[in-house]
Amino acid sequence: MIKPSNIEIDREKGNFHYPTSKYAFDAGVGLSEDVVKYISGVKNEQDWILDFRLKAHSIFEKKPMPTHWASRDLENIDFDVIRYYLAQGQQPSRTWDEVPDDIKKTFERLGIPEQERKFLAGVEAQFDSEAAYSRMKEDLEKEGVIFVGSTEGLRDYPEIFKKWFGKVIPTSDNKFSALNSAVFSGGSFIYVPPGVKLAQPLQAYFRINAENFGQFERTLIIADEGSEITYMEGCTAPKFETSTLHSAVVELVALKGAKIQYITVQNWSNNVFNLVTKRAMAEEEAEVRWIDCNIGSRLTMKYPGVILKGRKARGEVLSIALANDGQHQDTGAKMVHAASETTSNVIAKSVSIGQGRSSYRGLVQIPGHLEHCKNNTECDALLINSDSQTDTYPAIAIQGNENSVQHEASVSKVSAEQIFYMQQRGLNQAEAMSLYVNGFVNDLIREFPMEYSVELKRLIDLEMEGSVG
Amino acid sequence: MKTPFGSPDFFQAFSDKRSWEPGWMADFRKDSWNRFAALPQTKIKDEKWRFSPRARFGYSNCDQLTDSPKSTTLEGKSSEQVIFESFDQAILDHPNLLSILPSLTGPKLGSDATFLLGSSFSESGFIFKAKKNYKEEEPFICKHFAPKQNHSLFQQNIVIVEPFAEVTLIEYFDSEDQSSTGVLSNLSHIQLGEGAKLNRVVVQRLNSHSTFNHLEKVELGRNAQFTNVSLQLGSAQTRVESRGDIIGDAGEFNNYSLSLGRNNQLFDQRTIQHHIAPHGKSNLLFKNALLDNSKAIFSGLIKVDPAAQHTDSFQTNRNLLLSKKAEADSLPGLEILANEVKCSHGATTSKIDEQELFYLQSRGISKSIAEKLIVLGFFEDIIGQVSNVDLVESLRDEVSQFFNT
Repeated sequence: MIKPSNIEIDREKGNFHYPTSKYAFDAGVGLSEDVVKYISGVKNEQDWILDFRLKAHSIFEKKPMPTHWASRDLENIDFDVIRYYLAQGQQPSRTWDEVPDDIKKTFERLGIPEQERKFLAGVEAQFDSEAAYSRMKEDLEKEGVIFVGSTEGLRDYPEIFKKWFGKVIPTSDNKFSALNSAVFSGGSFIYVPPGVKLAQPLQAYFRINAENFGQFERTLIIADEGSEITYMEGCTAPKFETSTLHSAVVELVALKGAKIQYITVQNWSNNVFNLVTKRAMAEEEAEVRWIDCNIGSRLTMKYPGVILKGRKARGEVLSIALANDGQHQDTGAKMVHAASETTSNVIAKSVSIGQGRSSYRGLVQIPGHLEHCKNNTECDALLINSDSQTDTYPAIAIQGNENSVQHEASVSKVSAEQIFYMQQRGLNQAEAMSLYVNGFVNDLIREFPMEYSVELKRLIDLEMEGSVG
Repeated sequence: MKTPFGSPDFFQAFSDKRSWEPGWMADFRKDSWNRFAALPQTKIKDEKWRFSPRARFGYSNCDQLTDSPKSTTLEGKSSEQVIFESFDQAILDHPNLLSILPSLTGPKLGSDATFLLGSSFSESGFIFKAKKNYKEEEPFICKHFAPKQNHSLFQQNIVIVEPFAEVTLIEYFDSEDQSSTGVLSNLSHIQLGEGAKLNRVVVQRLNSHSTFNHLEKVELGRNAQFTNVSLQLGSAQTRVESRGDIIGDAGEFNNYSLSLGRNNQLFDQRTIQHHIAPHGKSNLLFKNALLDNSKAIFSGLIKVDPAAQHTDSFQTNRNLLLSKKAEADSLPGLEILANEVKCSHGATTSKIDEQELFYLQSRGISKSIAEKLIVLGFFEDIIGQVSNVDLVESLRDEVSQFFNT
């Protein structure tokens, strides 16, 4: 029989942090207008950005928590003990040598630089509030690709970024997008000029190092007509005694015929509240694909969305969630069809282990004046232990007789026969279980770039360790 | 909620009129009414009313209650083995059957106000009880009639099927005239004992101005079997709240419904299949065909408690949109807390298949008749759930007639 048991994952390798007294800039704990002004002041921002932040702050104060539908665990977030801005004061460094030694050590322990220097075109790593290291291949710069942090993006390229900043996700979208809009720092602002097709993915790493620190990065990617870009982000945090908040806003704009692929592997430690708003806008014949993998965090609430604004636009969300003891992965997708002949596809797979809980929450909307829109949604849930939980809460609003949607969800458990078959071939029960779970998510994992899919398989093996027997 | 029914004077006048009732009944009404008066202000954002134009289900247009004894009529064999009486008659004849009222909770799917008003003001409805081992193939029939212009009518039904009894119950909801705008709120409590079987058919043909609130809670004991087939054809707006609680081991709950919407009709359907005991089965299929400006909302939940291992539960919602302005909102939900289960749900929304239409037209059938045939075919797997052959034929006619008018 399968019995629940505690799973201890080795996060010690990356488990280190620095005393907050070492930071050159610290906005203190709690949130107020002064904190917002302090952040804006440190960044030397233009007036319109400060106004934007202050307005967002007042919206944040007014908005209620979305607990009429969401988990009540949200009420455990204490906004008054969180640090909203911490930075060492350095500008993003362009070469590895410029990065301060202690930060370099952090990344070296994470195993990032030596691999990435070999493989990757551009890396931007966010260490608490500010990007510490970013590098881009010269030929990318020659092609006119802009890859900077949020502060530099708004300061140095307002003509490009101001137009779309806060447009895909309005400040008042939800309480956490308002919070992010008030105190955002760091993140990536990317612009890909018309027709430029990036052969290699751009990457970012986000890491929380200080206790009680909230991370609020802001990402805006604009793919101009006919361009193509793949962006990958990874997130980690060391274990702290008290919970931490990560609340990002990610806006993608795919102009006519552009393609954006956005890949996230989220492995926060399991006391992080991960409340992220991600949305893309797809113009005519553009294609946006969110690939979203949630393994860590205490509570994740993340529903990547695509607004299909132009004719023949296409949106896709592929989502994998693994919920272990004490975790709630509340993930899903939103597809808002706003033009004819648009198509969308959502495939979500979740695995609940021990007392973990995974939820799928989705929205598909097609108004009646559109024609030939199609949506397909599939949700599969796998329950490992008898006290694991899974939920599915889709919302499908369809008008008109020229569109079609289909939604299907199923829940299953690990088949005893298949485990038996594998054991018969000499695998022990844990290996068989791991193989089974990997098989369950395999068709999605194949969509990930190679190094990520290897990493994912390893992470799943780790999570499965000790869950059986 | 704004309604004259909330005023203390109105309730006092009602109580005075019904002073002949036993004291415990008066207490129950008073308690329900107090709870209604104490209901918190309705929230703008309420998941149980998502997508629903809630104002359409209010009582603001009503200022009186219909107390005509004719609003429920009953047909069925009476015998030692069965009790089948109107609500008022049962207060006198079988007060012990009604005394369970204070312990009943209703479906709890959003219409708290209607539930409490119904508990306070019910004057009609019926009580049905089949005694142990009683088996009858002939159906018991109840006809409910809608209230007059600007009236509300609250009905309360209690259905108890004792262990190993097997019965069929048919309920019709009709309007006596085609213009009155009354609100009919019908509340059913259905309890099935061990091994009991109940087949229930609901045919709703209210006029196109009426509001219909149809609330029901079904409790299934060990090995009990409940099959519901519901035809929602009439009314301006209908809110269905249906809860099936599988309390005994291996209970089986089947819920089938079809709605045919025209003009501005609204069908707001909220369901839950709650598996509390292990080895249970449940199957739900709600089909909506929508013409003109009509709208259907389906919100269903399968809930499987940690103890309800070995559950098989399915939930399907199919919407056929026949016009550009028709709308179908679907909220199929799963909450699974046990792992030895087979659960799935599916929801689809689409239009008539062009090829099917073409095929029929190429056989010389006009487009409008071809559409009607396809819709009838679409509904066939709901109607086909009824086991009585004559009844199936008459239900087909019901749908077909509604299409013609």
